[in-house]
Amino acid sequence: MDIWLTLLGMALVTYAARALPLIVMRKELPAWLTTWLSFVPVAIYTALVVPPLLVKQLDQGPSLRFGAEVLAGIVAAIVAWRNGNILLTIIAGLLCFWLLRWLGL
Amino acid sequence: MNLSQAQKSDLEALHEHDFRQGYLDTLPLWLGAFPFGVVYAISALNAGLSNWQTIVMSLIVYAGAAQFTAVGLFAAGAAPISIVITTAIINARHLLLAATLVPYLRKERLSIKALIAAQLTDESFAIGMSRFIDGKGSIRYQLGSNLSMYTVWQVSTILGVFIGERIPNTSDYGLDLVFPFTFIGLLVPLLKTRINRTVAAWAAVFAIAGALLMPGSWYLLMAGILASGIGCWLTLRKKEA
Repeated sequence: MDIWLTLLGMALVTYAARALPLIVMRKELPAWLTTWLSFVPVAIYTALVVPPLLVKQLDQGPSLRFGAEVLAGIVAAIVAWRNGNILLTIIAGLLCFWLLRWLGL
Repeated sequence: MNLSQAQKSDLEALHEHDFRQGYLDTLPLWLGAFPFGVVYAISALNAGLSNWQTIVMSLIVYAGAAQFTAVGLFAAGAAPISIVITTAIINARHLLLAATLVPYLRKERLSIKALIAAQLTDESFAIGMSRFIDGKGSIRYQLGSNLSMYTVWQVSTILGVFIGERIPNTSDYGLDLVFPFTFIGLLVPLLKTRINRTVAAWAAVFAIAGALLMPGSWYLLMAGILASGIGCWLTLRKKEA
């Protein structure tokens, strides 16, 4: 039940962001808000990338780690920088991670 | 009178064609979206969502980055309220897309606006807007493009559910890393400007500190809001100077 309610909440906040400007907006958004929103993707994407690669959840709490995940992430980033293809980025990262694990890192 | 009516129906026929054209012009983007939908659904099943929950999320939330993140949070057992707030922050950028469309939709009925809003995504917005800027855009074209992206997202989700039911445990294969790798693919092209690199550096600092010191996924909100706020502050300060 909790999951269904969460999905409904997610749908409502998402629809609100898509619909409110179209339905209620009379004039343009203030400049500071559009500037702020323009930086949300880069901030959120970074926050979605860094902790999963660098922070490990242990029984006694979270701690930093520098393992195969980080190295694979760096390889994925290089591929993304050079070629900009997301699918290739994912494949390169995974191949690198599997290789490092196979090498025992 | 007759002539003007004929012209009017010609125009309508043209716009009729626009819907199909918008749908077709968006087909090349299917290639990029398809694997995401599949991976999303596989990950969602592994996070403990049912087949229907996985499919319904794609149907009613319909936002790739937010769905990926939510799955990660469900897997980590995050509180429902934190999942909803995180979704709101990630999808706040849609305010910007919708606000940009406002001048082109001013004369449309409320029901049309509501429909456009329901399927507004980064991809179909980009397609529709490039037409609007050329002066050839239309509401039907945008609707066609929107429906096109919606179609591929639902089809790939269903295929992912089909595959996910047959793969027992994705984290054994490191497939949970598909999340961060996906976001690396989205993030890195944004890092070509200096200001974005600054924002990303701050976001990394806040995210690591938050992940170490705060419970659950609150670090996402903290990093998302504070780092983008710093970017905003730096930009506005520069303009004033």
